[in-house]
Order: sequence, then structure tokens, then C-alpha cells
Amino acid sequence: MSHIMENPKGGCVLAGINAVLGAINRVCPILHSGPGCCMQTTAADQGQSGHKHSCFVSGVSIPSSNMLEKEVVFGGVNKLRTTIQGSIDIMDADAFFVLTGCTAGIIGDDIESVTSKFREEGHEVYAIDTPGFAGDSNLGYEVIWNTFIDKVIEKDVPKDDKLVNIFGIVPYHDPFWSGTLEEIDRILSKLGLKVNTFFTKHQGIEDIKKSSGAALNIIVNPWLFNGPAKKFEEKFGVPSIRIPGLFVGATDTTKFIRAVQEALGLDEKLVEDVIEAEEDYVYSYLGQSIGVVSWKRFAVVADANSAVGYTRYLANDYSFTPVLVIVSEPIFRQEDKDRIEKEIRDLEYAKPPKVLFLTDQYEINQAIREEEKEITLLVGSSNEREIALEKEIQFILGAFPINERLIFNRTYAGYRGSLTFTEDIYDNN
Amino acid sequence: MSNVQYSGVRESIPGRINDLGTTGKEVAEKYKKGCLKRADRSFAQGLQCQQINSMAALMSLEDSVFISHSPQGCVGCAIMAVDMYRVGQIHRGIKVVKNPRLIVTNIDQKSVVFGGEQKLREAVQKAVERYSPKLAFIYASCASGIIGDDIDAIAQDLQADYPDTIMVPIHCEGFKSKVCASGFDAAFISINKYILKKEKVEKEKGLINLFAPTTVSYADQKEMERMINLLGAKVNYIPFYSSLEKIKRIPAAEASTSICKVFADEFMKTLWEDYEIPYSHTVMPIGIRNTDKWFRGIAKVIGKEEEVEKIIASEHKRIEPLVAELKERLKGKRVFICGGTGRSFAAAALIDDFGMELVGLETPTYDADAQVDIEYLNNIHKNFVVDIANMQPFEQVNLLNKLKPDAFIGVPEWAAKLGIPTTHVLDGKRPTMGYDGLLFLGNKIADQLENPGFNRKLAKHVKLPYKDSWYKENAFKYILGGED
Repeated sequence: MSHIMENPKGGCVLAGINAVLGAINRVCPILHSGPGCCMQTTAADQGQSGHKHSCFVSGVSIPSSNMLEKEVVFGGVNKLRTTIQGSIDIMDADAFFVLTGCTAGIIGDDIESVTSKFREEGHEVYAIDTPGFAGDSNLGYEVIWNTFIDKVIEKDVPKDDKLVNIFGIVPYHDPFWSGTLEEIDRILSKLGLKVNTFFTKHQGIEDIKKSSGAALNIIVNPWLFNGPAKKFEEKFGVPSIRIPGLFVGATDTTKFIRAVQEALGLDEKLVEDVIEAEEDYVYSYLGQSIGVVSWKRFAVVADANSAVGYTRYLANDYSFTPVLVIVSEPIFRQEDKDRIEKEIRDLEYAKPPKVLFLTDQYEINQAIREEEKEITLLVGSSNEREIALEKEIQFILGAFPINERLIFNRTYAGYRGSLTFTEDIYDNN
Repeated sequence: MSNVQYSGVRESIPGRINDLGTTGKEVAEKYKKGCLKRADRSFAQGLQCQQINSMAALMSLEDSVFISHSPQGCVGCAIMAVDMYRVGQIHRGIKVVKNPRLIVTNIDQKSVVFGGEQKLREAVQKAVERYSPKLAFIYASCASGIIGDDIDAIAQDLQADYPDTIMVPIHCEGFKSKVCASGFDAAFISINKYILKKEKVEKEKGLINLFAPTTVSYADQKEMERMINLLGAKVNYIPFYSSLEKIKRIPAAEASTSICKVFADEFMKTLWEDYEIPYSHTVMPIGIRNTDKWFRGIAKVIGKEEEVEKIIASEHKRIEPLVAELKERLKGKRVFICGGTGRSFAAAALIDDFGMELVGLETPTYDADAQVDIEYLNNIHKNFVVDIANMQPFEQVNLLNKLKPDAFIGVPEWAAKLGIPTTHVLDGKRPTMGYDGLLFLGNKIADQLENPGFNRKLAKHVKLPYKDSWYKENAFKYILGGED
């Protein structure tokens, strides 16, 4: 199910799959699709995420069967076969994943039997039979993890009670993914844990295969990864906890630590020491610039994860006034919307903001345009700059898509990220 | 002139090929004898689809809505045009920088089974209600094409419902062509069919159509306009940052020319056939030789041959000391070039201005036009490899690793990881074209090539994704067919 959308944020299911594969070291997607899908699926997420692309293969480096009229009419499996063989011959990859474009999906090419032949010959070639029109980037994130669970992750891996898997931060579909995962890794490592972020530290297909040995799956997202988490637990016995939104700042990051502590039964003394040190770090800085950032009435337009994180930090920790929060990614289940809304509205002192679920740019702009209460700060994506300029609102680029800045390891998440966020909010006007 | 209407698919032009590994000498000879045949790659990397070009060409038009009848993914590449549109507005002094109005119908599983007509109708309805646009461009996609949605018939029907918005369906289904420039042609075919409609308009004395793609910076636009103004003519700059009114002025022009070789080249032929507008189709105005050639081309069409020589002489006086200086810094460097059809050949001519040597050239298509350029290059450079390829980085890095050039001109991503000094003649945000552009471009090229520290250090840390064994193979081993 997909809606008509103006200026959509993100791409099709292949874009989401590609974003994940592109973030894993030495993994190569192969597109069985029309000639433009490599570029389109890369540009849709990686190309709008602070100008950082997969270091391994992306865009026109991705092997592709480039299906033309001939393949559309007569089928493209022969072309796919030679494309896979060529990939195996020249690409220095540990695993290959064949993705189906709309073209292959509609004509019904049997990619499973093509790839299984290669697997019989000992090559790691997997098929993902989900054509582009099946859904969006977020679905792609779940589809690729389902593929890993079904076909790649090993059973009977020895358990490691210090190992945790992180889910819910979608590479490239979240421009701050690297920095966010590094901050999560930094914090959890201080608690004595080993962390599978899967997308940093050059983690590769071996880390994914062995991820079934983890003690806990930590989902940092208010709604994504429901299906795969269940499947992961059923197949490998790894339980999950859900952190219902990105944690930005001391309050929510400490809450995150305590949730992990509770799930894993971590040493209380160690946990309290870490929290104390981290909070001290944050407040030592905040204490040095009191009253420097002027008071704001703010609006946020972002994916659910970031919308929760930014709103709660600005309202709970920085005492700004929330006015309007627009969750701008497609969310279909009412229970998910309810959970997101609760996280955004359940604030400590501040009055809850209005919460809207809008994905269409015109509707987003209209909601901001028609908001009766004054807004003096807007945190949004590159798409929201226009309405901010129109209404002369201070604007912070904080959500996907981001096109006007280069992002390597910057994040607004966690203890340290909240300081960066606060730095960026500063406005001398 | 042929009576068969051009389909918009670039492959349909006889003698044009897309897949070949050869040398300058060999390809020129074979082309002359007519022995180049269409080939294919049994292994290839991704291409750019024509839909991207159809969209990019028009997305800066005022009062327009762009409706992609496709799944959401097919507007991914729109970001490139969106970015150029936003930055272009900033360069033009606009304060409230707008997004293009891009609506995707979001073809899904249900549409694939039952057809997507209803979604397209709704999308157009939304577009009209929201923006009352003068133009609604409706783009086909692989999915809409295969499921058989008749966008022409739907557009015709909607035209009756919304008489104040011109509906312009564009047939840019990705699977129809390997050559992304086909998308430019698809867009112009529809502009002629639905907007211009072969209607005769009153001629405007001294008006020249200047066709410009999205990749032309505002600085370059101003330089091109300055040059044409020096000839005593005025410019209708289209379709980049233009409007319905400017498009409607196309048939009023006295002559046409284009900034890019593969942009509006077919359309300018149509303008001659349908409206008797003469045109100049030469080269991209990058570097002294090409700028002169481009300038003389358009001057000749409007009968300003004498005037142009005077202007060129005075521009040369201004430019030549700089070029001489650059030549001192750059001469003798061995260069590999990769680019689109226009830019690759423009870069090849440019390096001759600077006394550099061509060792390899990667360009997407070979045809009668390319033959002219290659014959010119063969007269200057003894021996150079030619890879007829749309990017295909695996072939590029294989060739670079063997040829070990001193400099690479093109998308720097892969050559940089091999430690080769890189530079580019494509910059849609800064100057590259004409005489003024050369001042900026020449310094950029010389400075970048003299200071390759970044690439040298990068190459020690970052590896390309290919096996070591690939670099020992024949770069063209996956190209099948192509000869008798």
C-alpha cells in the first residue's frame, strides 16, 4: 500500500535494502532491474544523506543486468546469470545479494533458482525477491533483515552474554546513522558490552552470521523492526527490547542505559558510575553557556525516531516550548502511531505539542503555514527549508533528506550528540 | 530529411553504438568502413536511465508540476535536479528558495495488478488543486510501461477536465534505452507535440534559442548570454530556469544552438523541419578551441561571421596569456578522460589547449558526431584507448591501472582511490564555459593536478572493491559482439 506523495522522502524498497547492504563492509548488491535502478536506489537514500556514500559499491558501481526491451519481452534470467558470474569473477566481495527491480518483478523472472545454482557451487549469492513497487525504504530495512534471518544468520552459534545487536537506526535513511551508532557503541562499551552495530567498525557478513549469539536485540526506534524482531527471537532465541525513540540528551540516554541494565542484569555500581560520568560531561558544558541560546517555540518535521528524540530533548532537557511535531514517514499501523504520539506528548513539564502524521510535502507545508501558534525554530529536512524561509523561521537541518551539509560522524543522539545539537541551535540573529 | 518520425530512442539512429573497447585509430577506421556493429556487455554495472534525464531537463521550469507515474523509487535521482534548482535560485538572488513540485503516483502492488490509472488521475487532480500550474508533465516509468497504463489517453482525458493546465505526457520508460540522453529527446518530443504543436508564431528579430541542460551553472549562463549579446543577438535561455512563455517563444527565434552536444540536438533538427529555424550543432564551449568553434557556429547561422572573428580576436588577447601560463604548468601530462558525450570530447579538446597528451577516453556512445571528434583527436594524439561505455567503473579502473596517467578528468571517485590526480570539467555550480569560464577552470585544473596529496594519501588507506586479478584481465573482456 503506497500513497500519492509530493516530494517523497526516501525511495522504494530497493533503496532501503541497498542502504543497508551499502553500509556493510564487503557486501555487494546485484540489481536485476532496468538500467536506472542502481543510481535511483542509491540517490534516493545514500544520495540525500549528507553526501556520504557506501565506500564499497554504490550507484553506477553496482553490478546490474540493465534490463532493456529484449529482457522485458523474453525474460532476463540469462542476463542475470552472466551478471552474477561477472560479479563473482571481479568483485572482491564476501557475499552478493540479488535485488529485483519492478521490471523483473512484473515479468516474474525466477531469481531464486538462478541464485541457488550459484550457492550450490559454493558462492554466497542470495536472492531478495521483493520488487521496487512493494514498498518504501523502511520496508527495505525490514526486508533485508528478514532475508538475513531466513538465509544468512547461522543457528547454534555459541551464546555470548555480553554481546548485543542494535537495530532501528537505518543507515543512510538516517543521515546521522554513523555518529549515532558510534555513540551507542561508545556508551554500551563503557558498560562492558560488545556491540554489533553491523554498519560501523568495518563490520561485515561474518558479524551478521554470528549475531544469533547475542544476548539481546536493542531496537532503537518507536515502530520499525517488529516483524524481524519476532522472527529473530523465534528462530535464534534472542529477546528484544524496544527503546521507543532516539535518545537525545542526558535524560533519555540515561533511561536507555537503565533499560539495557534491566534487560541484561548489569552490575548496578558500574551502571551508576557510567551515568554519573556521562551526565557530568554533558552538564559541565551546558553549565558554561547558560542563557546563550535564546528561548524558542519549536516545530519538528522528521521520521518518528528523530521526532521523538528532538522533541523530548528540546522540551524536557532544554526547556523550549513544543508547538507542532510532524512525523513525516509513512506509518500504517494505528498502534505504532499511538506509541509514537505517546512518546512525543508525554513530557515532563512542557505542555504536549500537536502531533500530525503527514508524508506529503504540500500537507506538511500547509500544516506549518496554518499553525496558529508562533513557531521560532523548525527542525526538519532539506524539504522543509522552503516553508521555513517563507515563514522566516530559524531552521535546523536535522532529518532526512539532508542535502546542504556534509555529514561523516556527526550525531545529535546520546549524551555527546545532544551538545552538538545544542551548538547547532545557537543563533546569533 | 527523413520522413520517419524520430522515436526518441537514441539507439534507433543508424551507426550509433554503446559498447566497444578500442583505440582512436581503430575506431575511426572501422567506423569509416561501416564495420561497427551493436554489441553488449555480459557483465555491466548500473547505468543512468532516460527518465532521470527527462525529469532533470525540465524540473526548473516555473509554474510547472512534475508527476512521476511510478513507484516512489523512480524519483530518487530527482535530487540532483532538485539540488541544482535550489542552488540555482540562490545564485539568481531568490530569497525564498522553492522545492520543485514533484508528485509521485506511487505505483504499488495493487496498481501492478489492476492498473495505475486512478492514482495518476488523483495525482493530477491534486497537482491542479494545489498549484493551478500552467504545465503538468507526466512521466512514464518502467512499471507504468509494462503494466500498460496509457498515459497519453489519460492525459488527453484530463486535459478536458483541466483546460488551464497543459498536460504533457513524456515517454521515458527506463527499459526503452541504454542511452540516458534519450530522455532529453523524449521530453522535447512531448514539448513539441503538446505545447508548440507546429503552430507558427511571429518571428522575433535577433532571438536565439539557447538550449541548456541542468548541469550549466548560472555563471556559465551569464557567459553564454554575454557572448551571444556581443553578436548583437538576444537569448531565449531554455528549458533550464525558464517558463511556459519562454518555451512558447522557441518558434519565434531566428536560430538555435545548444550548450551540450546531446541536449536538444535532435530537437533542433525538428525545429528546422517544423518551423524552419536554422541551428548550429558543434561542440561544448569548454576551452579555447571549442569555445571558438561553438561561437563561430552560431555566428555563422545568423550571418555574423565577420563580427565573430573580431570578438574572438579580442577575447583571445585577454585569455591567451593565461592559457600560455597554464600550458607551462600542464604540458606533457598524460591524461585519461571520462565523461558524458559532450563533456568528454570537450575535455579532450581542452587538454590540447594546455599541451597535454590524451591516453584514454571513455564516452557513452559512438556515432557520426563522435567520428568527427575522434578524427580531430587522432591528428593530435598518437595513440589513445577508447572505451565506449557509460561509466562502467570496473573497466575504467582496469584501464587506469594499466595506463597510469598523470591526470584523470571526470567523476573522481574511483581514480582518486588509485591515487591518480583528478579534476573535472563538470561543475553545475561554478564556471567552466566560454572565455570567462576558462579563467576559473584552467586555474582549477592546474592547481588540482599540481597538488594531488589527498588522492595519494587516500589510496594508501582505501581500496576499490575489485579483486587484484581483475586488473590483469583485458578491460573489455565482457564486451560481446560488435564486429563482423
